[in-house]
Formats: sequence, structure tokens, C-alpha cells
Amino acid sequence: MRVPLSWLHEYLDFDLRADELVDLFSLRSQEIDGVYRLGVIEGEVVIGEVVEFGPHPNADRLFVAKVDLGGREVQIVAGAQNPRPGVRVPVVLPGSVMSDGTTLKKAKLRGLESYGMMMSERELGISADHGGILLLDDSHEVGRPVAEYFPVGETVLDIDVTPNRPDLWGMIGVARELAAILKTEYRIPEPSFATGGKPTRDFGLRVEAEDLCPRYDLRRISDLEPGQVAPLWMRRRIYAGGMRPINAIVDATNYVMLETGQPIHAFDAVRVREGIVVRRGRTREKITLLDGSTRVLDEEVLVIADEERGLVIAGLMGAEDAEVGEETTDALIEVATFEGRNILQTSQKLGLRTDASGRFERGLDPNMVAYAMDRVSALLTQAPGGRSADDTLSHYPEPVEPWRVPLRLGRAELLLGMPVQMEEAVERLEALGCEVEREDGELWATVPTFRRDLRREADLVEEVGRLIGLDRVPETLPAVPQTGGLTEGQQRTRLLRRLLADLGLSEAITYPFGPERWTEDLGLEDGTVRLENPLSAEGGHLRTSILPGLLDATARNRAFGARGGALFEVGNVFFADVPQDELREAALRFRMTGERGVQEAGRLMGVREVSRIGVVLGGTVRPAGWNVPEVRAGFFEAKGLVERLVPGARFVPATRPYLHPGRSAAVLAGDKEAGWVGELHPEVAGRFGLDGWPVAALELDTALCQPAPEPRFEPFVNVPAVARDLAVLVEERIPVGDMLRSVRDLPGQLLTEVRVFDVYAGSPVPPGQKSVAFGFTFQGGKTLTDEEVDAEVWRVLSRLEDEFGVRVRS
Amino acid sequence: MTVSERIEQLKSEALSAVASGASTADLEDIRVRFLGRSAELTEIKKSIGTLSPDERKEIGRSSNLASREIEAALGSRAEEVAAREQEERLQAEAADVTLPGVPFPRGHLHPSQIVIDDVIDFFVGLGYRVAEGPEVETDYYNFTALGIPPGHPARTMQDTFFVDDGLVLRTQTSPMQIRTMLAQEPPVYVVCPGRTYRRDSDPTHTPMFHQIEGLAVDRGLTLGHLKGTLGAMARHVFGEGVEIRVRPSYFQFTEPSVEMDVSCFVCGGRDPHCKVCKGAGWLEMLGAGMVDPGVLEEVGYDPEEYTGYAFGMGPDRMAMVKYGVPDLRLFFEGDLRFLRQF
Repeated sequence: MRVPLSWLHEYLDFDLRADELVDLFSLRSQEIDGVYRLGVIEGEVVIGEVVEFGPHPNADRLFVAKVDLGGREVQIVAGAQNPRPGVRVPVVLPGSVMSDGTTLKKAKLRGLESYGMMMSERELGISADHGGILLLDDSHEVGRPVAEYFPVGETVLDIDVTPNRPDLWGMIGVARELAAILKTEYRIPEPSFATGGKPTRDFGLRVEAEDLCPRYDLRRISDLEPGQVAPLWMRRRIYAGGMRPINAIVDATNYVMLETGQPIHAFDAVRVREGIVVRRGRTREKITLLDGSTRVLDEEVLVIADEERGLVIAGLMGAEDAEVGEETTDALIEVATFEGRNILQTSQKLGLRTDASGRFERGLDPNMVAYAMDRVSALLTQAPGGRSADDTLSHYPEPVEPWRVPLRLGRAELLLGMPVQMEEAVERLEALGCEVEREDGELWATVPTFRRDLRREADLVEEVGRLIGLDRVPETLPAVPQTGGLTEGQQRTRLLRRLLADLGLSEAITYPFGPERWTEDLGLEDGTVRLENPLSAEGGHLRTSILPGLLDATARNRAFGARGGALFEVGNVFFADVPQDELREAALRFRMTGERGVQEAGRLMGVREVSRIGVVLGGTVRPAGWNVPEVRAGFFEAKGLVERLVPGARFVPATRPYLHPGRSAAVLAGDKEAGWVGELHPEVAGRFGLDGWPVAALELDTALCQPAPEPRFEPFVNVPAVARDLAVLVEERIPVGDMLRSVRDLPGQLLTEVRVFDVYAGSPVPPGQKSVAFGFTFQGGKTLTDEEVDAEVWRVLSRLEDEFGVRVRS
Repeated sequence: MTVSERIEQLKSEALSAVASGASTADLEDIRVRFLGRSAELTEIKKSIGTLSPDERKEIGRSSNLASREIEAALGSRAEEVAAREQEERLQAEAADVTLPGVPFPRGHLHPSQIVIDDVIDFFVGLGYRVAEGPEVETDYYNFTALGIPPGHPARTMQDTFFVDDGLVLRTQTSPMQIRTMLAQEPPVYVVCPGRTYRRDSDPTHTPMFHQIEGLAVDRGLTLGHLKGTLGAMARHVFGEGVEIRVRPSYFQFTEPSVEMDVSCFVCGGRDPHCKVCKGAGWLEMLGAGMVDPGVLEEVGYDPEEYTGYAFGMGPDRMAMVKYGVPDLRLFFEGDLRFLRQF
């Protein structure tokens, strides 16, 4: 809501600078989005009379005027060509500051002195019109300041009105609010108007869709002079209020809307056939609006029609057919209240939003209708000619009455956490328009109908609290009667993230929605959850894997010149889990009302979410140093990470369509599949823009990771350990992991550690075989003899011979 | 020359050799030459048995003395030499200490997550627990239970991604308030971090962003407790000196509703050209309020017995302010040039 301060001053007296007003309004009522300046901020604008006017001798598009400023004559160079000798114009004098902050100086334009500037409507903040100099009529006295007739500058506050306060969508409401804050009085215009015009009852009024139209009033204003322009003060306020002046009738309706918050529509009575009908749209009914668009209606759209055709989409916009225009002399004025939600739905359905619909959709007070009707009648009958009908047709079958809301001071003090005096509460509520009675230490407020948001005690507590000042509420801490903490799962996730970051990876957070190609490019089956209204086709599918988002990011990093990188992300993936047919109804009920009956909520959600951790290593993960080789993305680099995240994991060759079939594995944690690890299939890498780059990745169920396994003490002995190495030849297809496990599982032995320190195939190892070198560490309760160690090595070797057919490499 | 004279001579030869011995190896040679098995002094000692008793005594004493003296000289000289040799060896081992060390590169946590972890740690310290919920949420939990039934104008304020009949991507973490209260009895002290979604995209809006929701329901909770809690949190996150202020606002699920500003932690409101607060002195930080009695009733709590407060903040925006990031979109692109700065 744009609030021109000069307009506000008409309703109440206050002595605050704009910035003080912004602070005060922000802390007591609504946020201020901005402060705008129009016209001349500082300086002098006087009325001048053009004495001479002609072309500039040195410039094609400039003109020179001699202007009488009341006793002295100045020369002004102008760009506009509309002044003529004898006309009166506003002249801003050098030294004045304009709304954009510039200071006007005496200037020489193409060789001619120019003293000040003749002003257009736009330069004065009256309208957007910059087509020529504003010409003033003879009532404006030469030499006098223009400000004696109308303000030459304006400060406009832009209030960000919260949706519960439609009363602040009008200047009167804003004045009332400010008066309540300042504990002062405010005044509103008393409408008075000339009657005796043609009767409204020549037309009919029939409200068919009563549920969508609580109130509809119609009044005829006749005998208007055609082709009138609204007075300058009105146009000025309409423009400062953020609208465009159009013609005298439309401007009067818009002015009253800005003033009261109540939208008003005017029909040209000549074009209305028989009467006004308020009805639902008919299927496939069409209406061509003022903006030139043709809209197709349905039965949910409220239409204001005559007996033959639709004239207005209620609350939104009228059709060209019955609008008032230059030639209108006889107007029917509609002031009505429509059901807010219906207006909102229509507005969304048609993709059309207007100043009027924005007000209607919040739900307006039907009792505002009568005042608004009188105000617009007053303005229209001030115009030359206009006379109001003596009668008003009104459909208002269920008048809204004020309601009573209790307020216990103790309750207010509890919610606010500060003392509230009875007198203070009464005064504040009364300032808002409530009538307040006291009964046994309780207050009962009779709430005016324009405050539809004040229904319950808590609502009144808020009003009292904010008007006293929330800054007066002291800061205290509650005594929390429980211990805080993270659950096991939350600690796990946090440890996982910290572990990977400590290992040198960077945490990414990517959008969980992407294009359809994500699944296609990964070669996955479609089981994705789709968005009904994605921002673009590139974001219509919820991810079933963390992988594609990280691959896209990796490709982008590569495109920006990175030589490689290691990214991880912890986040949810989504799987469609459509309820069985017989549960569909129950599912919908659960989703809309929270009622799940005997069903488990999980079965009705329709989507299964799982928390996953994903890693993508790409290119050179760590560049070579002067003393260390580079680390490139590969299966074993990724696997090393898995071994930290899932200690004791088993790796089973298993392939997925997006992984290198020979360099990928399923990760088993106990008997559960925790995820996968592997190098990316080169074709998939290509599809993601990663051709020729080594890429390895992993993805694990967060819940199955164990980044910090619970420690358990094992006794140890202080006797020397003995190290032995053993190299064996074995068939190449035998997995080394199986050999390791087999050795570790040997019962009752002295072996405390086994590791693989070399794997080699190629000459001199016979074809089809590989050499595997193990390093063993043995330790016993006493110092081991060579014979004892030899016996243990022999036991290990026999096991390997039996199970895998190894031979000792000589 | 008598044997005794010879011994003296050998001794002085040995001592001078020792004195000029330059290395451990030299000294070992000298030892062998003068004290070794076939050294002359050793020979003399061996021949003692063939001498007369007087000579035996004299020669025996003097030869032993000579041996001991040489031994001692060798020992002390060896220490000197070893020390010098070690010194030389260490000199030779000197490295260019300006060369980089073996890399143990650090990784990076996401800036939003750093803020989320920080905020959560603060609330855990106060005794709060942490709850998380689904990102695909039902219409009921995301809207209706929070006082935003179908057709409510507030629904248009939150451009919603729709998933299926009655399912949306949650537009706020507030549904966790409902889920939490339905799952337990008061007292409730909980914070709920998570991803939220709105159909919006420009430099200050991304279709995904984070929220941290907080909820406390207990006997006797007031707006003062809310202010105290949020003030303490602001000082935890932005530094001891910051102040908070609350302004009236509107949310469907709180009454009274407030917005909280934090005093500018960079300029404290003293710099009209401050890049962080743009001269305002205050930074809009979060929305909050006392839990609406309707919401308490919806989950079966008695609003006469219990009151509560709730708040919701945007950790992405907090990270932007704290670290001076101008564009929210950078947060969700996985760009290493961005991530490596945190």
C-alpha cells in the first residue's frame, strides 16, 4: 500500500520525519518496504506566465520562453513545445532539489541562459505524463508558490501490508492505525453530495450467486458532463498512490478505493440492458476484457452481467462493452463485497491480478460499502454536472454485526511476558475502533467489522502488545526441563560429514530435482517422483540417487577449469511408493486432513524418502607435490572412503548400469546392502560431460554407515611381534579379498595382522596367474621362536593352498 | 734405547696421532696401530714375562699407564670427533624448509551446514532436541494444520511445488511442529533443520533453501522467553555485542507474531554506507511468535494450560550475511571455487 504523506496529513496531525515514521510504523504495525520521493523535494516552485515563446536559435528541438514570475521576467530554455504566450506554468527555481536527488542549477543551453525549468506533470509528481509542460488555469495567481494550490513534492511510504490486515489497504485505515500508535485523533471526510439524479430503480438488481457475493450496492449518478478530467489534486493522489489517472469517473472510483480500501466499479448506464445480474459464469462463456484479452469462464467464476451478457469478471476486470468512457453521462456505480477465496481462485486460474482483486481476495468488510458509495457519490457530484440518484439498490441479506471478544489481563501478561495495565489495554483497543467493557477484571471488546482478524483473545493480546511496544518485553530464558542432544542417527550424519570434510572432500548441497535425462543417462528404470509444476523441464523429477546432481556439479567444475575434485553430499532421495488402489481414498484423506484411520502413515504418503551419502571423485583429486605423486579418481580411492565410512564392509562384484562393469562393487554392511562403489561407466561419463576424465563414486545409506564405531578394549602383551612376508602365485581370477578373509578366519592362531603389499601379473609370473605378496605380523603370550613362527606361516600357507590353490613364489 | 724409553716414545707418538685423528675411522686405525693385537706396546706387554722381576714391575706399570693414557685420549678424542661428525652430517641433511610439506588437505563443510550445526549446537546446549521430517509433505501438515486451509490467501504467498494429490514439497519446516506435537506430550523443546522448497528463482531466492524451525511448548512460556532465547542465539551466532529487536508481523500459526532483526554485527548501525546492513543498522533475521491457540488445539494440547513459542530462520541467508556472499544461487551449484572458501 502506497501512502502519500501529504494525504495522510489530511487525516491526522503528526510531526515526524519520514525516517521516524518508518521506524515507528515498523516497530508497532507493519513493515515499510520503501520510501519514494516524487516531484520537488526541496526548493521553490512558483507560478509563471509565459510572455514569449519561440524556437531556440541554435537548436532544432529546443524552445526559449520569457516567463513572468510576478514582477520579474526570466528566460527559460525548454524541450516541450506546448506553452504559448499567456499560459500559466509551474516554474521550479534554481537551487531546488528534484526527486532523483539532483539540484537544479542555472544553466546555459546551446548558448542561452536558462533560469529554472518549466515543469511537466511527471516532474511535479502529478502523473506519468511527460508530454508537455503542465498548463495551469487562471485561478493560479502569477508569482505565488504552487504549493499554495497543491503539493509540489511528495514522500510516499510503501507499506508491506500483511494478509490479515485488509483494512490497511486504504488511507483511512492507515490513518486510524497511525492514530492508535500515536494516541491521537484522526478525522475522515464527511461525504455530502447533490441528489435528484435519475433513479437507480430504472434498472434491476438480481444477485443469483449469494454465496459468492455477501453484499452488492448499486447507485446511479446521472447528468455528468462528458469527457471530464479529474481535478489535479485527485489525479496527483492517484498517481502517488501507484495508479494511473484515466478519466473523471474511473479516477473517482480509484480514488475512493485508495481512500477506503473498497474497490468500486462504474458502468455506463446507457449500455446496461435492463439491470445488473450477479451470477456464476456459464460453461464456455467468453468475455473480452479491457486489456483486450478474451477469457473463457466456468461456473466457479463470478460474473457481473446484465440480462444479456457478462460485463465484468467480478472483482477483477470489466469488459470493454459497458465501461465508462469519454462520452459517459450516466453511470451505475457498483460497490460490493465478494467472497475472497473465490476471487483469489479466479485470479489464479486466469493469471490476472489487479489492484481490486488484491483487496477483494483478503476478504473485505461489507459494512464499508455504504461509506465508499457515499464518498464516490460525493466526488462524482463535485464534477461538473453529476447528480446522485435518491435511491440505492442494495443486496445485503445477512448484515455483519460487530462481535465480542474477551481479554483477560493475566492472559495478556502471560503471553507477552510483561505487565499490562488495564487502562492501557482499554485505551489501545478503543483507539483501534473497539468498544470496551469491563466485567470482573476481564475486558470485553466489541470489535468493529473492518477488523475481521480480531476474533480471539490472542488476537487482542497481539494488538495491545504491539501498540504498547514489543521492545518493552524483557529478554528472559525459560528453564528447560530436559536434556538436549542429538539422536544417534543425527550424530552419525554429522560425523559422516565431518569425516569426509577432514579427509579433504568438499560438501555440496544440490537441488534434489532434475531433468528426466538424469534417469535415462544413468540407465535407470523410471521410478521417479515427478513435480506437477516444475520451474522448468530441467527440474521436474525428484532424484533417486545423489549421483546425478554431483556429476553435473563435477562437470561444471571441469568446465570452469578445475583439474579435478572430490564432492560429497548428504541428502534425501525419493521413490514413488504409490498406495494400492484400495488405499487411494484413505491416502488422499490422510494427506488433506491428517486422518489416517488404522493405516500406517508410511503407506499413505506415496513417496518413500531415504537419506543417502554420495561421493564423486573426478579427475586429479589431489595434484602431485614435489615429494608425493598425484591422486587420481579411481575405484580404490573411492573404496578407501567406503572402508572408513562402513568399517568391516564387504565388497561384492556387482554392477549397475552406470558403473564400470569390472570396477564396481556392492557394499555390504553385515547382511544388508549399504550401497555401491565404483568407477563411472565411460559412456555415462560422456553423457554428463565428463569424457576422458576418471570418475569414481559411491553412494551409501546414511543409516548403515558407521563412521565412529564404538571402541572395545582388547588386551595386549608386551612381547616383541615378529614380521614375515610371503609371496604366492595364484590364478588371476581369485579375489584377494577372499584370501585375506580366509587367512583372518583361521582359528586359534598367533597372526595379529595381515596386509597385502604387492599384487603383480606379467612376466615372469606365468600367464593367467598373479603374484600376491602378504605381510604378516605374529605375536604370542611370550616371545615366539623361529620354529613357532615358521609353523604359523605354514598353517596359513596350507589354508591358502587348500582353498585357492596357491603356490609359494620362489 | 731402553724399553721404558721406547714406551714413552710410543705413548707420545700415539697421543700425537690421536690428537690429529680427524674421523672416527682414523681413530679406529690409531687404536689398532697402538693398542691392537700386534701393536708394539701390546708386544711389549706380552714379553713382560721374560723380564727380570724388577724390570717386570717397572715395564708392566709403565706400559699399562701408557695404554690407559692412550685409551683415555682416544676416548675423549672420539667423542669430539663424533660430535663434529654428527654436526657435519646434520648440516648435510639440511632441507629447504620453505618447500611445502606433505599434503594432508582439508576439505570443506557447506556454509549453510556450518550455520545449521552452529545453531543446533546452541539449542542443544539449552536443552532442545532435534527433529527432522520428510521433504515431500502432506497438504495437511504443510498448510491446514498450521492454520492455512485450502483456499486461504496465505497459500499464494508460498509458491508451492506440487507432487501429487495432497502432496507438496514442503514450503517450510513448520510441519515438523505438528509432527512433533502429535508424537509427544508437552514439554516440547525442539529445533527442526531441513531443506524447504518454493517455486521461485532469482539472486535472492532459489527453489530450494534451508530453514531451521524451533518450537517450545510448556507451562508459562512467554514472548519474553522467545526474545531471550533468540537474543542469546543471535549473540552465539553473530558475536557477543549484537542486539535484537522484534517487530509485529503475521504468520498463520503464531499469535502474536513477530519478526526479529539483529543489530548489524559489522558496523553496529554506525556506518551509513555499511555493505552488510546497507546503513539500516538492522538485519532482518527470522519470523517467530507465540504458538497460535488453534494450532495447540489441533494437536490436542490445552491452550489454557500450555503456551509456546515458535520461530523459523533461514540459515542460508544467515550464512550470506555472516560470510558476505552476495548471491544465494552460489550455495547450490557445487562449485568448488565457492565451497573451498568455507
